Amino acid sequence: MAYQDFRDFLNTLEKEGQLLKVEEQVNLEPDISAATRALNNLGDKSPALLFNNINGYEKDQARIAMNVIGSWPNHALMMGMPKNTPLKEQFFEFAHRYDQFPMPVQREETAPFHEVELTENINLFELLPLFRLNQGDGGFYIDKACVISRDQDDPEHFGKQNVGIYRLQVKGKDRLGIQPVPQHDIAVHLRQAEERGQNLPVVIALGCEPVITTAAATPLKYDQSEYEMAGAIQGQPYRIVKAKDADLDIPWGAEVVLEGEILCGEREFEGPFGEFTGHYSGGRSMPVIQINRVYHRQNPIFEHLYIGMPWTETDYMIGVNTSVPLYQQLKEAFPNEVVAVNAMYTHGLVAIISTKRRYGGFAKAVGMRALTTPHGLGYCKVVIVVDEDVDPFNLPQVMWAISTKLHPKHDAVIIPDLSVLPLDPGSDPAGITHKMILDATTPLAPEQRGHYSQPLDSPPGVDQWEKKIINLLNRQQS
Amino acid sequence: MNICPRCGSQHTEQVAASPVAGVWTVHMCSTCIFTWRSTEPEHITNPDKYLPAFKVDQADIPKAAHVPPIPARRV
Ligand SMILES: [Zn+2]
Repeated sequence: MAYQDFRDFLNTLEKEGQLLKVEEQVNLEPDISAATRALNNLGDKSPALLFNNINGYEKDQARIAMNVIGSWPNHALMMGMPKNTPLKEQFFEFAHRYDQFPMPVQREETAPFHEVELTENINLFELLPLFRLNQGDGGFYIDKACVISRDQDDPEHFGKQNVGIYRLQVKGKDRLGIQPVPQHDIAVHLRQAEERGQNLPVVIALGCEPVITTAAATPLKYDQSEYEMAGAIQGQPYRIVKAKDADLDIPWGAEVVLEGEILCGEREFEGPFGEFTGHYSGGRSMPVIQINRVYHRQNPIFEHLYIGMPWTETDYMIGVNTSVPLYQQLKEAFPNEVVAVNAMYTHGLVAIISTKRRYGGFAKAVGMRALTTPHGLGYCKVVIVVDEDVDPFNLPQVMWAISTKLHPKHDAVIIPDLSVLPLDPGSDPAGITHKMILDATTPLAPEQRGHYSQPLDSPPGVDQWEKKIINLLNRQQS
Repeated sequence: MNICPRCGSQHTEQVAASPVAGVWTVHMCSTCIFTWRSTEPEHITNPDKYLPAFKVDQADIPKAAHVPPIPARRV
């Protein structure tokens, strides 16, 4: 079921009616961002967009793909599931595959991106149809590429090789700026290299099939390999090929690959850039990557990601894969109680946990545990806890639980001055915030408050009917 | 196109031109690293009309915080 490469996935999207080709001529600014923003405004079942008629290029000379994982149907197809798979089901399937980690990789000698290779006269502005995403951005960015680097103290350790997605500002014909936030794995590698006075070799892979992009955006442990996680998610070994200038592994199906190095001890003015928080961040000095080698397929497709006020493709890309690790970590503490976790709001700044309870006060303990998970240290500013029969992915149900189960005097708990990611625009100082647990579960003995003895139950057979109706709808559509 | 719309620096260069000749050019400022395309609106390309909230004062550039900080050399 694994997708060979980026084009294979685009073909599937097209077959499934989830790829919209825009044939009319568009301008790089502002049309492509505007079209993608508009698409995201239209709902959570949007197709991907493919532009092939761009002002300044001959038709088909430059092609740009947007919003490739930017909806729940596209996310389901990424996992090889039917496109109308309910979100909660996608979550449980992802959790199941996450447990299959690690899946060994498959090594290849050559890859389609070897078709064209350049080591001289590199000009990224001519190689790629770059464009500004948001009006305040300080330049043209690459924000959906896999950036690969190795641990410098333990270079043989495959799992410590990191594949991550970082914002990259194109800062010259063969120069990129990169934002390695100190909490990110690549910042560990860079520190090791800079302590030695050495450059850090990196590879940047653009236009990858969506599973490695998803794994790269999943908060894994430091020594867990994104390639072995991608294999687990696609249920088949992930294919990689060696770089030429450094001992780094590259996704086989990439459209464009840049090899280079982060320059030791160099920092340069960067940004601003519109971030996933729906606010700009910038005005800081960040590391610089020198590009030494470029490979690409003939007539490569440039995959890009519009980022802006949620929801945009980012939120679909980091929704389920952020929720699952938090779910697994909570299950370690409360294996029989925690039912599901929805940490999809701004990368989990708001998280919703559905749980059974053993006794009064239990739900608040589950909420506290979420704050102390690795992801919770930087996120989980507001944690909403709901009963096991409330679907945390169904916001109307969550609102019902808050409406009827929550007593503000007893159930809104504020913990002062905890850590949060500095990009949270509400944090003050940056990186510090109060956090809140909202206990929207039904009070349980020894708690006696409220009038909850006569809950409404569903008519018998609802579950069977739900499956039956989904099947009927599928048949009607196909 | 010779003056950076964002910081007013005169250290700018053309870094690309459209493959179909004469449609657009791309320019970059080597002082604040701002990049723009000739076909963008005036509040991006014109120094007098550039987005006020995003103007950069050249004096602030050397003061920008390092993210991440440069570590001491290990001996
Ligand atoms: Zn400037």
